[in-house]
Amino acid sequence: MKIHKYSMSALMSLRSKMNEGILSLLPEVFIRGITLLALINLWKAAMQSASDLEIGISQMLSYTYASAILSDMLVVKTQASGWLSEGVLLRLYTRPLALLSQLVAETIGGWAASLALFSLPMALAAPLFGISLKPASPFFFVSLILCVSLGFAVDALFSCLSIKLGHMNWLVGRIRQAIAALLSGSVVPIKMLPFGMGEYMRFQPFASLGGATLSIFVGSSDTAQTIMLQIAWNLIIWPIALLALKKSQEGIVSYGG
Amino acid sequence: MEAKTSLKQFLRLLYMSAKMDLAWLLRDSKYALICMVVDIADNIAAISTVLLIAGRIGSIGSMGFDEALFMMSYSSLLNSLYIMLGAGNNIIISRVIGRGQLDHMLIQPLPLITQLATSGFAPFSGFGNFIVGIALMSASIHRIGMSITSLWLLSLLIYLIASLAIIASMSYLSAIMAFYAPVAAEEISSTAIDDAWPLSAFPLSGMPAIIQVALLTVFPYGLISWFPSMCLLGKPPLGLSSYYPVAVAFVLSNAAGYMFKKAMNYYTMKGSNRYVPHGFRR
Repeated sequence: MKIHKYSMSALMSLRSKMNEGILSLLPEVFIRGITLLALINLWKAAMQSASDLEIGISQMLSYTYASAILSDMLVVKTQASGWLSEGVLLRLYTRPLALLSQLVAETIGGWAASLALFSLPMALAAPLFGISLKPASPFFFVSLILCVSLGFAVDALFSCLSIKLGHMNWLVGRIRQAIAALLSGSVVPIKMLPFGMGEYMRFQPFASLGGATLSIFVGSSDTAQTIMLQIAWNLIIWPIALLALKKSQEGIVSYGG
Repeated sequence: MEAKTSLKQFLRLLYMSAKMDLAWLLRDSKYALICMVVDIADNIAAISTVLLIAGRIGSIGSMGFDEALFMMSYSSLLNSLYIMLGAGNNIIISRVIGRGQLDHMLIQPLPLITQLATSGFAPFSGFGNFIVGIALMSASIHRIGMSITSLWLLSLLIYLIASLAIIASMSYLSAIMAFYAPVAAEEISSTAIDDAWPLSAFPLSGMPAIIQVALLTVFPYGLISWFPSMCLLGKPPLGLSSYYPVAVAFVLSNAAGYMFKKAMNYYTMKGSNRYVPHGFRR
């Protein structure tokens, strides 16, 4: 019966996103769409004159496209940091459900609006831009689950950082944004980093987020090795995240808003 | 009734904003340092996509690595000015309107425009990014081997002002929706500017004409960094005049001012729905 409660939390989260009507979400969808089209053309322009690259142009376009339509899942961001300063996090403790599970349910519910309004239409439009969204390996789905799982663990650590820094959730958000842009490989594949950095960067934990899953999606990495790395980082980061969260809980102070 | 602002009063207001910014920074040096480092990291991350692509491939379309570096340095410098002048949501104005805070400004004995121009001045907390922008620009100019004249520096200043005017105009134009739907459109300026910032940092060189034209006219994100950078490099794109960004900035800011005033007239008749009769915020 608990699954029903969590699905209700997810549904509530979806409804809260749609509170102001679909029209209020369209500007964001529009900007994301234009940015994606520009990014696709940026890669086309850049790769026209390139040779000896680790990834072909069609793979790169699929990589970029998939990264945009799966962006919520590739670098998971729960509401925990924001809810800490808004006082919502404390309210979750009053419910007869585990805190982390509630955050997971709320986050997944929040994805639904973006998936329906941006990801699905863009996925259907992909053939119009000559982009294939067929995974190179069925293990992409396994990798995506591991990526999402690791994303929640990393997010829990960022929430602890937010508690430690005393409600500076916007600051933590910017740290996370910078890390996602530089280290996760969601925008520029780890393999394509200049000066041979890709060789070493693929072993750091953030590379097991979006970049790892996308590289399996386009078939540009060793699937078994990538999934093993993702499993290893899940096994390392989750216990640390749970311990950090347990220790940080006593330090939560909220005054609402 | 609104009082007029003298230059002395305007400078005093800027001084007060700067003093508050410094006080915030000095309140806790640890947090201040973290904030500055994060600001710089965030700025570098914003330009990293283009730099990493150009660094790995050597060029983007007809734009070489050094030119891409110059454009990113311009974007970085612009970002620092945006932070230094817009720290108080005075550029992301839909938040002020959506949260009902415009009412607080309307009861002050100062013209609204003076308050908006001075309230976000944060020269100290935004200074780290400014240094990064200057350093990147110096490095790119050195690599390109460009000679710098006082006329070029004046052009740089004019283009930066034009870029800021385009950013502010787009923000204010989109914020008009917040007068009619305060809750739904509270973040509309942020979507139009912050979320779309990567779009302004993409070099359009080598992109299809339809994308270039769209991003230089209907959605003028290409005029924020790419076009001015190309002009400063002496290569105005698409055969357009190098005055084009300045002309668009002029037209757009006037249009934004006119439409903003019109929408504010509606707001002053209807008021904000964010407050209940006892003054609490919904």
